[in-house]
Formats: sequence, structure tokens, C-alpha cells
Amino acid sequence: MSWTMNSTAMIQRKSQTQMIPSKVEALKLALKDPPVQNKDKNVVERNYAVVLDVLTGFSIGKKDKDSMQAGVEALSTDELDSLMKYIYRGFTRPTENSCEKLLNWHEAAFAVGGLGSIIRVMSARKSV
Amino acid sequence: MPEVYEVVNGPITCHCWNKDRSKLAICPNNNEVHIYAKKSGKWEVEHILTEHGQRVTGMDWAAESDRLVTCAADRNAYVWTYTGSAWKPSLVILRINRAATVVKWSPKENKFAVGSGARCVSICYFEKENDWWVSKHIKKPIRSTVLSLDWHPNNYLLAVGSTDFKARVFSTYTKEIEEKPDSTCWGKKMPFGQCMAEFTTAGGGWVHCVSFSPSGNKLCWVSHDSSISVVDQSKEQDAVVVSVKHTYLPYLACQFLTESSIVAAGYDCYPVLWNYDDNNKLTFINKLDQSEKKAGGASMSAMNKFKQLDTKATTASADTELESTHQNSITQILVYSGSQGSADVFSTIGVDGRVVIWACKSLEAAIAGLKFS
Repeated sequence: MSWTMNSTAMIQRKSQTQMIPSKVEALKLALKDPPVQNKDKNVVERNYAVVLDVLTGFSIGKKDKDSMQAGVEALSTDELDSLMKYIYRGFTRPTENSCEKLLNWHEAAFAVGGLGSIIRVMSARKSV
Repeated sequence: MPEVYEVVNGPITCHCWNKDRSKLAICPNNNEVHIYAKKSGKWEVEHILTEHGQRVTGMDWAAESDRLVTCAADRNAYVWTYTGSAWKPSLVILRINRAATVVKWSPKENKFAVGSGARCVSICYFEKENDWWVSKHIKKPIRSTVLSLDWHPNNYLLAVGSTDFKARVFSTYTKEIEEKPDSTCWGKKMPFGQCMAEFTTAGGGWVHCVSFSPSGNKLCWVSHDSSISVVDQSKEQDAVVVSVKHTYLPYLACQFLTESSIVAAGYDCYPVLWNYDDNNKLTFINKLDQSEKKAGGASMSAMNKFKQLDTKATTASADTELESTHQNSITQILVYSGSQGSADVFSTIGVDGRVVIWACKSLEAAIAGLKFS
């Protein structure tokens, strides 16, 4: 589905992530099809809000199935790169609730993606 | 153990070896070319060539004809011939309006290619009638600075990596000096300047280096988005680009050592080995640098401890030395020795002013489980 054609529908579909019991599945859905070439700022903002929602739902502990580590391990390289882009986007607008979670997400994603994933956030010309 | 030579105190921009590796030419990050000769195990300066007006950005030594070609940011290139006692420069008319970035002799040494910021590659050959070097330009479809070049063993095809995020293969068939090329897996018709193939990078980053495999059937390129890619064109219709977005800092240089071994190095300051097999799988094999950190600073005198505390607010020994052999980014890898089809020694230079020579056999012995296939 192309973002320009179906923005509202896309966001609604992603909002359904709140209803998916498995957090890892919700994460994969939220990261799917990032609106990279979308000119509409509203769409980009709303998409980011959905992703942030999903990210804050994860727990920090290492072992449970809802942990960030489990989430990160389930992602493919491209999805991991997308996640890193969202994390760095989150760093630019820190809020009370998001900072701690984002830093923990960064630690988990970095353990799998390494320096390369951070380099790709910086060298990618399509921002999320 | 790799042989380490601390040649200069600053970055080395580029280097090249003569045929028997008794001489080394480098540019110490200025407008000079220093030619070193090996005297009793150490490299000593033999000649300093100062024809260029600005930083020398690329150089190559033609093994058989013993000629040196250098290109610089002053938009010029010179071909140097050794007259027994000194090096005599001969100007090359490049006709570019931006700095040259890289230069490579072709395998038969009858022409060389110069990449530049003028968004073109100049293919230069010697015109006997006028006794000078002339150039032909390959412009389309290069859209930005050319950063790297590599020649195909057939002397006609040239791989070009540039900052427009693409790696391309061009034909440089120059009818004035050579016969028509035979068809290869890259294509049948090869007029001058024809773009035989164009590849992009996985995530969009400058292509820092390109390298053909010894047979010329495979092309490898590394780019700034921390990816390494290989394409095996001998599969023709089934040729597929295999890219790996790796987890290390970007590579600045890559070189095929054999048909399936690629050595790459860059901002991580150590060379690594990648393997590309027949099933189109590109896998990371191993880090090639196993040097250990010097176990120094074991006991500090009381005075030193307080001195440290005063100046640096810490009692730990402030060790700024890296564990790897190179202390700064590696910028170029060259094949040092080996047979046709398989190199067994390669050399690297870096921003730390060191020239390091790595022998594959001793690396295989030092690192458990390592095999250069």
C-alpha cells in the first residue's frame, strides 16, 4: 500500500497494534512500510506516534517475551534499521515518558545492529 | 605478524609499489611524492618529486614499464619516467575543471584512468605524433565525484565507484591504440564510454571502493552506509547483487584476493576478511588483526598518580592507543604479492602514517580457523 494514497487507512491499521496481544507482532506491524517519501507532515507525525506507542509498551527486563531484547531479535536487518531511525527521531524530541525507554531500546538495538545500524541512520537519505 | 613501517608522522594519502617491491612511493598528505627505497630493513627517502601544486590524491606504479603516474587536486596528472638518476615528469592534458581523485594504470599499461570531482573519468593514452598524453572523457551517466577505479583484467572494462551512490562498469575501448575487445559476461558491444552495468548501494551511501575479482567476472563495492556488495556477472541473466548491511563502521577500501576472498578495511582501523561463495552468499569470516594491547602502565609512581589526578581527574592510565596495528583509519589496500588469480600478501596504509604488510599465510597461522579460500 502506498502511503500517499491511503494515509488514514494505514494509520488506522497501525493503530490496531494496540489490540494485538503479542508485542513483537505489534512492533513488526508498526515498523512496516515507514512513510519515507511522504510529503504530508501530519501523516509522518501520526505514524511516529503509533510507533512510539508500541515502543513504550515493551518492558526493559531481559528475559520475558515482552522484553526489548526479544523484540529486537525478531527483526530483520531492514526492520532494525527502521527501528534505529525511529529511535533517533525520538531522541530529537525527548519527553518525560519516552527518554528512558528510548535509551533502553537503543541499547538493545545496538547490541544486534552494531555501529553499522547507526551509520545507516545517518547516511540514509530517506528519513522516517 | 604483519610488518609495520612508521613512514611519516601524518596521514598517507596514497601509495604504490614498484615491480619487485624494492621501492615504495607515497604522498605524505601534501603536494609531494616521496619515493622510498629499502635500505637494511628500513625505508629511506630516495627522491622527492615536487611537480604538483596541490595535494597528490592518487598514484600508481606501472610494474612492467616502470612508470609512475600521479594525479592531484591541482587538476593535473603527470607520468614520471626514471632516467637512471632522477624522475622526469611528463604532463597529461586531463581537461578537467575539478580535482583529480584517483588514478590507475590499465593491466597492459598502455593507458590509465583518472577519476575526478569533475564527474567524469579521463582515459589517457600516449599520442606518439605529438609526444604527449591525451585524454578521452567518460561523462554519462556519472553524476558526482568519482572516488575509486578498478580495471578488469581484459584491459577494456573499468569499474567506477562514485559519490552518486552508484558503482558502474564502463568500456574504455580506445580505437586509436588497441583492437576491438572480445565479448565478456559484461556485454558484447563495447564502444568507448558505454556503461555496461550500473549498481546501487544497499542503503544509499558513497561508494568508497570497487574491486574486480581476478577473473573479472565478479565486482565488489563497499560504501558509506556500512554495506558490502558483490555481483557475479558470469551468471548473466541470473546475476544477482548480494549486499550485506554489516554491523561495523564503513569500509574505505576493498580488494579481491582470490575469486572468493575479499579483504576490506576502513574506519575500524583493522582489515577484515569476507567470503563470497558459489551460492551467492557473502559472509564475514574474521577480523585479520589480532595484535594485543601493550601491557604497559602496570604500576604508576605516586607522583604520577597525583599528576594524573590533577591534570586529567582520573588515576587510570590514560591510554589512547588502539588495540589494532593501525592507529587510525585504513584508506587503501593494495595487492603486494601473489600469483595471477590469488594474492597472498597485501599492504595497507592509513591516516596514522603507517604502511603495514600483511601475509595471508602468517595470518592463517596466527588466527585459529582462518582460511583464505
